[in-house]
Amino acid sequence: MINVFLKAGSELRLKLKPDVDYYTRRVETEGGKTLREILRQIGLDPAFVAFAYSEGKLRNLDYIPQDGQNITLQPPVSGG
Amino acid sequence: MSEKEKERYLRQLGLEEWDQDKLKSAKVFVAGVGGLGSAASLYLAAAGVGLLRLCDSDRVALSDLNRQVLYSEKSLGKSKVQEAKKRLVALNPEVTVETKAEAINRDNIEQLAAGCDLIVDGLDNMETRFVLNGYSVRKRIAYVYGAIHGWVGMASLILPPRTGCLACLMPSLPPAAGPIPVAGFIPGTIGLIQAAEACKYLMGVKGTLAGRLLIYDSRALTFDLIDWGKNPLCSVCGEKK
Repeated sequence: MINVFLKAGSELRLKLKPDVDYYTRRVETEGGKTLREILRQIGLDPAFVAFAYSEGKLRNLDYIPQDGQNITLQPPVSGG
Repeated sequence: MSEKEKERYLRQLGLEEWDQDKLKSAKVFVAGVGGLGSAASLYLAAAGVGLLRLCDSDRVALSDLNRQVLYSEKSLGKSKVQEAKKRLVALNPEVTVETKAEAINRDNIEQLAAGCDLIVDGLDNMETRFVLNGYSVRKRIAYVYGAIHGWVGMASLILPPRTGCLACLMPSLPPAAGPIPVAGFIPGTIGLIQAAEACKYLMGVKGTLAGRLLIYDSRALTFDLIDWGKNPLCSVCGEKK
Protein backbone atom coordinates (compact mmCIF):
# COMPACT_ATOMS: atom_id res chain seq x y z
CA MET A 1 0.00 0.00 0.00
CA ILE A 2 1.11 3.59 -0.63
CA ASN A 3 0.07 7.00 0.65
CA VAL A 4 -0.95 9.75 -1.76
CA PHE A 5 -1.69 13.30 -0.60
CA LEU A 6 -4.46 14.98 -2.57
CA LYS A 7 -4.97 18.72 -2.29
CA ALA A 8 -7.87 20.84 -3.51
CA GLY A 9 -9.27 24.32 -3.04
CA SER A 10 -12.64 25.96 -3.67
CA GLU A 11 -15.74 23.78 -3.62
CA LEU A 12 -13.70 20.73 -4.52
CA ARG A 13 -12.01 20.95 -1.13
CA LEU A 14 -15.31 20.19 0.57
CA LYS A 15 -15.83 17.12 -1.62
CA LEU A 16 -12.28 15.94 -0.91
CA LYS A 17 -12.82 16.03 2.89
CA PRO A 18 -9.27 17.08 3.91
CA ASP A 19 -7.81 15.41 6.96
CA VAL A 20 -4.16 16.52 6.97
CA ASP A 21 -4.63 20.28 6.78
CA TYR A 22 -7.20 22.72 5.40
CA TYR A 23 -6.61 21.54 1.82
CA THR A 24 -5.06 18.07 1.97
CA ARG A 25 -6.31 14.53 2.36
CA ARG A 26 -4.10 11.49 2.83
CA VAL A 27 -5.27 8.50 0.84
CA GLU A 28 -3.95 5.02 1.44
CA THR A 29 -4.24 2.96 -1.71
CA GLU A 30 -2.71 0.16 -3.71
CA GLY A 31 0.30 1.11 -5.78
CA GLY A 32 -0.28 1.25 -9.53
CA LYS A 33 -3.74 2.84 -9.37
CA THR A 34 -4.47 5.81 -11.59
CA LEU A 35 -5.60 9.13 -10.19
CA ARG A 36 -9.06 8.44 -11.63
CA GLU A 37 -9.25 5.14 -9.75
CA ILE A 38 -8.07 6.76 -6.53
CA LEU A 39 -10.72 9.46 -6.81
CA ARG A 40 -13.42 6.83 -7.24
CA GLN A 41 -11.99 4.93 -4.27
CA ILE A 42 -12.63 7.95 -2.03
CA GLY A 43 -16.04 8.65 -3.53
CA LEU A 44 -15.03 11.75 -5.49
CA ASP A 45 -16.47 11.86 -9.01
CA PRO A 46 -13.58 12.44 -11.47
CA ALA A 47 -15.88 14.72 -13.48
CA PHE A 48 -15.32 17.36 -10.78
CA VAL A 49 -11.59 17.44 -11.61
CA ALA A 50 -10.50 19.23 -14.79
CA PHE A 51 -6.83 18.33 -14.36
CA ALA A 52 -4.24 17.75 -11.68
CA TYR A 53 -0.64 18.77 -11.14
CA SER A 54 2.38 17.90 -9.04
CA GLU A 55 6.00 19.05 -8.97
CA GLY A 56 5.16 21.76 -11.48
CA LYS A 57 3.88 19.31 -14.07
CA LEU A 58 0.43 18.75 -15.45
CA ARG A 59 -1.06 15.32 -14.73
CA ASN A 60 -4.14 13.86 -16.31
CA LEU A 61 -6.42 11.44 -14.54
CA ASP A 62 -4.61 8.43 -16.01
CA TYR A 63 -1.50 9.42 -14.08
CA ILE A 64 -0.24 6.85 -11.57
CA PRO A 65 0.93 8.58 -8.36
CA GLN A 66 3.94 7.41 -6.40
CA ASP A 67 4.17 6.78 -2.67
CA GLY A 68 4.24 10.05 -0.70
CA GLN A 69 3.42 12.22 -3.69
CA ASN A 70 1.44 15.46 -3.29
CA ILE A 71 -1.04 16.06 -6.06
CA THR A 72 -3.25 19.14 -6.47
CA LEU A 73 -6.66 18.59 -8.00
CA GLN A 74 -7.99 21.45 -10.08
CA PRO A 75 -11.74 21.77 -10.63
CA PRO A 76 -13.03 23.35 -13.84
CA VAL A 77 -12.47 27.09 -13.83
CA SER A 78 -14.66 28.75 -16.42
CA GLY A 79 -15.62 32.19 -15.20
CA GLY A 80 -14.48 35.52 -16.54
CA MET B 1 5.79 59.03 -31.53
CA SER B 2 4.46 62.52 -30.92
CA GLU B 3 5.77 64.56 -28.00
CA LYS B 4 2.48 63.94 -26.24
CA GLU B 5 2.84 60.16 -26.67
CA LYS B 6 6.42 60.32 -25.40
CA GLU B 7 5.18 62.06 -22.29
CA ARG B 8 2.24 59.71 -21.86
CA TYR B 9 4.39 56.60 -22.08
CA LEU B 10 7.45 58.09 -20.39
CA ARG B 11 7.44 55.75 -17.40
CA GLN B 12 7.29 52.57 -19.49
CA LEU B 13 9.66 53.67 -22.23
CA GLY B 14 12.46 53.29 -19.73
CA LEU B 15 11.81 49.56 -19.31
CA GLU B 16 14.39 47.21 -20.83
CA GLU B 17 13.04 45.54 -24.02
CA TRP B 18 10.04 47.88 -24.15
CA ASP B 19 8.98 48.61 -27.74
CA GLN B 20 6.20 51.17 -27.93
CA ASP B 21 6.12 51.11 -31.73
CA LYS B 22 5.29 47.40 -31.71
CA LEU B 23 2.46 47.99 -29.26
CA LYS B 24 1.17 50.88 -31.31
CA SER B 25 0.98 48.79 -34.46
CA ALA B 26 -0.69 45.83 -32.73
CA LYS B 27 -4.32 44.78 -33.02
CA VAL B 28 -5.83 42.87 -30.13
CA PHE B 29 -9.16 41.07 -30.05
CA VAL B 30 -10.67 41.18 -26.56
CA ALA B 31 -13.25 38.41 -26.32
CA GLY B 32 -15.57 39.56 -23.55
CA VAL B 33 -15.40 42.74 -21.49
CA GLY B 34 -16.64 41.36 -18.19
CA GLY B 35 -14.39 40.86 -15.19
CA LEU B 36 -11.29 39.68 -17.03
CA GLY B 37 -11.77 41.76 -20.15
CA SER B 38 -12.43 44.98 -18.21
CA ALA B 39 -9.15 44.73 -16.36
CA ALA B 40 -7.13 43.50 -19.33
CA SER B 41 -8.43 46.08 -21.79
CA LEU B 42 -7.95 48.92 -19.31
CA TYR B 43 -4.25 48.18 -19.00
CA LEU B 44 -3.80 47.37 -22.68
CA ALA B 45 -5.24 50.78 -23.45
CA ALA B 46 -3.06 52.43 -20.82
CA ALA B 47 0.01 50.73 -22.32
CA GLY B 48 -0.86 52.07 -25.77
CA VAL B 49 -1.85 48.99 -27.77
CA GLY B 50 -2.82 50.49 -31.12
CA LEU B 51 -6.15 48.83 -31.69
CA LEU B 52 -8.49 47.03 -29.30
CA ARG B 53 -11.47 45.22 -30.79
CA LEU B 54 -13.94 44.58 -28.00
CA CYS B 55 -16.51 41.85 -28.46
CA ASP B 56 -19.39 41.27 -26.03
CA SER B 57 -23.14 40.95 -26.56
CA ASP B 58 -24.08 41.74 -22.95
CA ARG B 59 -25.51 44.83 -21.30
CA VAL B 60 -24.28 46.12 -17.96
CA ALA B 61 -26.11 44.83 -14.87
CA LEU B 62 -25.80 45.97 -11.25
CA SER B 63 -24.31 42.62 -10.23
CA ASP B 64 -21.45 43.24 -12.70
CA LEU B 65 -20.15 46.24 -10.79
CA ASN B 66 -18.28 44.31 -8.08
CA ARG B 67 -15.68 43.35 -10.68
CA GLN B 68 -16.27 44.91 -14.11
CA VAL B 69 -14.34 48.07 -13.49
CA LEU B 70 -14.94 49.75 -16.84
CA TYR B 71 -18.54 50.51 -15.86
CA SER B 72 -20.48 52.59 -13.37
CA GLU B 73 -24.10 52.91 -12.30
CA LYS B 74 -24.55 55.28 -15.25
CA SER B 75 -23.77 52.29 -17.49
CA LEU B 76 -26.63 50.13 -16.24
CA GLY B 77 -28.67 48.62 -19.08
CA LYS B 78 -26.26 49.87 -21.72
CA SER B 79 -24.13 47.91 -24.17
CA LYS B 80 -20.90 46.76 -22.51
CA VAL B 81 -18.74 47.32 -25.58
CA GLN B 82 -20.05 50.87 -26.04
CA GLU B 83 -19.54 51.75 -22.38
CA ALA B 84 -16.13 50.12 -22.40
CA LYS B 85 -15.10 52.08 -25.45
CA LYS B 86 -16.04 55.37 -23.79
CA ARG B 87 -13.91 54.57 -20.76
CA LEU B 88 -10.91 53.30 -22.69
CA VAL B 89 -10.83 56.19 -25.13
CA ALA B 90 -11.14 58.64 -22.24
CA LEU B 91 -8.11 56.99 -20.63
CA ASN B 92 -6.08 56.94 -23.83
CA PRO B 93 -7.39 58.66 -26.98
CA GLU B 94 -4.29 57.41 -28.83
CA VAL B 95 -5.85 53.92 -28.90
CA THR B 96 -8.39 52.93 -31.54
CA VAL B 97 -11.28 51.00 -30.02
CA GLU B 98 -13.59 48.97 -32.21
CA THR B 99 -16.75 47.40 -30.87
CA LYS B 100 -18.64 44.24 -31.76
CA ALA B 101 -21.85 43.76 -29.77
CA GLU B 102 -22.07 40.10 -30.75
CA ALA B 103 -21.87 36.68 -29.12
CA ILE B 104 -18.92 34.69 -30.42
CA ASN B 105 -19.58 31.34 -32.09
CA ARG B 106 -17.90 29.01 -34.59
CA ASP B 107 -19.58 30.73 -37.52
CA ASN B 108 -18.56 34.30 -36.78
CA ILE B 109 -15.19 34.11 -34.99
CA GLU B 110 -13.14 34.43 -38.16
CA GLN B 111 -14.97 37.55 -39.22
CA LEU B 112 -14.94 39.05 -35.69
CA ALA B 113 -11.24 38.51 -35.04
CA ALA B 114 -10.03 39.09 -38.61
CA GLY B 115 -6.76 40.97 -38.84
CA CYS B 116 -5.94 40.76 -35.13
CA ASP B 117 -2.51 39.71 -33.90
CA LEU B 118 -3.60 38.29 -30.59
CA ILE B 119 -6.73 37.23 -28.71
CA VAL B 120 -7.35 38.04 -25.05
CA ASP B 121 -9.80 35.69 -23.34
CA GLY B 122 -12.38 37.53 -21.27
CA LEU B 123 -15.06 34.89 -21.64
CA ASP B 124 -17.30 33.37 -18.99
CA ASN B 125 -17.84 29.89 -20.39
CA MET B 126 -15.70 27.01 -21.66
CA GLU B 127 -17.73 26.29 -24.79
CA THR B 128 -16.86 29.67 -26.32
CA ARG B 129 -13.29 29.36 -25.07
CA PHE B 130 -12.99 26.24 -27.18
CA VAL B 131 -14.20 28.26 -30.17
CA LEU B 132 -11.37 30.75 -29.53
CA ASN B 133 -8.94 27.89 -29.01
CA GLY B 134 -9.90 26.27 -32.30
CA TYR B 135 -9.54 29.57 -34.13
CA SER B 136 -6.18 30.24 -32.48
CA VAL B 137 -4.86 26.81 -33.54
CA ARG B 138 -6.19 27.05 -37.12
CA LYS B 139 -4.85 30.53 -37.71
CA ARG B 140 -1.76 30.19 -35.49
CA ILE B 141 -2.72 33.31 -33.58
CA ALA B 142 -1.55 33.91 -30.01
CA TYR B 143 -4.25 33.38 -27.41
CA VAL B 144 -3.94 34.74 -23.89
CA TYR B 145 -6.09 32.38 -21.87
CA GLY B 146 -7.63 33.45 -18.57
CA ALA B 147 -10.30 32.01 -16.30
CA ILE B 148 -11.53 32.49 -12.74
CA HIS B 149 -13.68 30.85 -10.10
CA GLY B 150 -14.06 31.86 -6.48
CA TRP B 151 -10.66 32.59 -4.97
CA VAL B 152 -8.77 31.07 -7.92
CA GLY B 153 -7.69 32.36 -11.29
CA MET B 154 -5.43 31.08 -14.02
CA ALA B 155 -3.69 32.40 -17.10
CA SER B 156 -1.47 31.21 -19.90
CA LEU B 157 -0.19 32.15 -23.32
CA ILE B 158 -1.12 29.69 -26.05
CA LEU B 159 1.13 29.93 -29.11
CA PRO B 160 0.15 27.40 -31.76
CA PRO B 161 1.79 25.31 -33.03
CA ARG B 162 4.62 25.65 -30.47
CA THR B 163 2.67 25.21 -27.24
CA GLY B 164 -0.18 23.02 -26.12
CA CYS B 165 -3.69 24.33 -26.65
CA LEU B 166 -6.68 24.46 -24.34
CA ALA B 167 -7.80 21.01 -25.44
CA CYS B 168 -4.40 19.60 -24.38
CA LEU B 169 -5.20 20.87 -20.89
CA MET B 170 -8.86 19.89 -20.88
CA PRO B 171 -9.56 17.22 -23.52
CA SER B 172 -13.28 17.29 -22.87
CA LEU B 173 -15.56 20.22 -22.27
CA PRO B 174 -16.21 20.58 -18.52
CA PRO B 175 -19.88 20.71 -17.50
CA ALA B 176 -21.45 24.15 -17.85
CA ALA B 177 -21.52 26.14 -14.62
CA GLY B 178 -24.19 28.54 -13.42
CA PRO B 179 -23.31 31.99 -12.00
CA ILE B 180 -20.02 31.51 -10.21
CA PRO B 181 -18.92 33.12 -6.97
CA VAL B 182 -16.17 35.70 -7.51
CA ALA B 183 -14.74 38.80 -5.87
CA GLY B 184 -13.50 41.54 -8.15
CA PHE B 185 -9.85 41.27 -7.24
CA ILE B 186 -9.58 37.79 -8.78
CA PRO B 187 -10.49 38.70 -12.38
CA GLY B 188 -8.69 41.97 -11.74
CA THR B 189 -5.46 40.15 -10.94
CA ILE B 190 -5.77 37.66 -13.79
CA GLY B 191 -6.85 40.36 -16.25
CA LEU B 192 -3.69 42.30 -15.48
CA ILE B 193 -1.56 39.21 -15.88
CA GLN B 194 -3.23 38.73 -19.26
CA ALA B 195 -2.43 42.33 -20.21
CA ALA B 196 1.19 41.74 -19.21
CA GLU B 197 1.41 38.56 -21.31
CA ALA B 198 -0.23 40.27 -24.27
CA CYS B 199 2.17 43.21 -24.15
CA LYS B 200 5.22 40.99 -23.70
CA TYR B 201 4.23 38.82 -26.63
CA LEU B 202 3.50 41.79 -28.89
CA MET B 203 6.85 43.38 -28.10
CA GLY B 204 8.83 40.14 -28.31
CA VAL B 205 9.84 40.28 -24.65
CA LYS B 206 11.19 36.98 -23.36
CA GLY B 207 9.81 35.31 -20.24
CA THR B 208 6.16 34.69 -20.97
CA LEU B 209 3.63 32.10 -19.89
CA ALA B 210 3.98 30.29 -23.22
CA GLY B 211 3.68 26.58 -22.45
CA ARG B 212 3.00 27.27 -18.77
CA LEU B 213 -0.14 27.72 -16.71
CA LEU B 214 -0.13 30.18 -13.84
CA ILE B 215 -2.64 29.34 -11.12
CA TYR B 216 -3.30 31.96 -8.46
CA ASP B 217 -5.13 30.93 -5.31
CA SER B 218 -5.85 34.01 -3.25
CA ARG B 219 -7.16 32.00 -0.30
CA ALA B 220 -4.19 29.60 -0.14
CA LEU B 221 -1.73 32.41 -0.96
CA THR B 222 -0.12 30.44 -3.74
CA PHE B 223 1.04 31.10 -7.26
CA ASP B 224 1.66 27.77 -8.99
CA LEU B 225 3.45 27.59 -12.32
CA ILE B 226 2.71 24.40 -14.22
CA ASP B 227 4.43 23.12 -17.33
CA TRP B 228 1.71 22.59 -19.91
CA GLY B 229 3.03 20.28 -22.58
CA LYS B 230 1.59 19.68 -25.98
CA ASN B 231 -0.46 16.49 -26.33
CA PRO B 232 0.43 14.78 -29.63
CA LEU B 233 -2.98 13.07 -29.56
CA CYS B 234 -4.90 16.29 -28.91
CA SER B 235 -8.11 16.38 -30.94
CA VAL B 236 -7.51 20.04 -31.83
CA CYS B 237 -3.79 20.61 -32.23
CA GLY B 238 -2.28 17.13 -32.13
CA GLU B 239 -0.15 15.89 -34.97
CA LYS B 240 -1.35 12.34 -34.38
CA LYS B 241 -5.05 13.15 -33.83
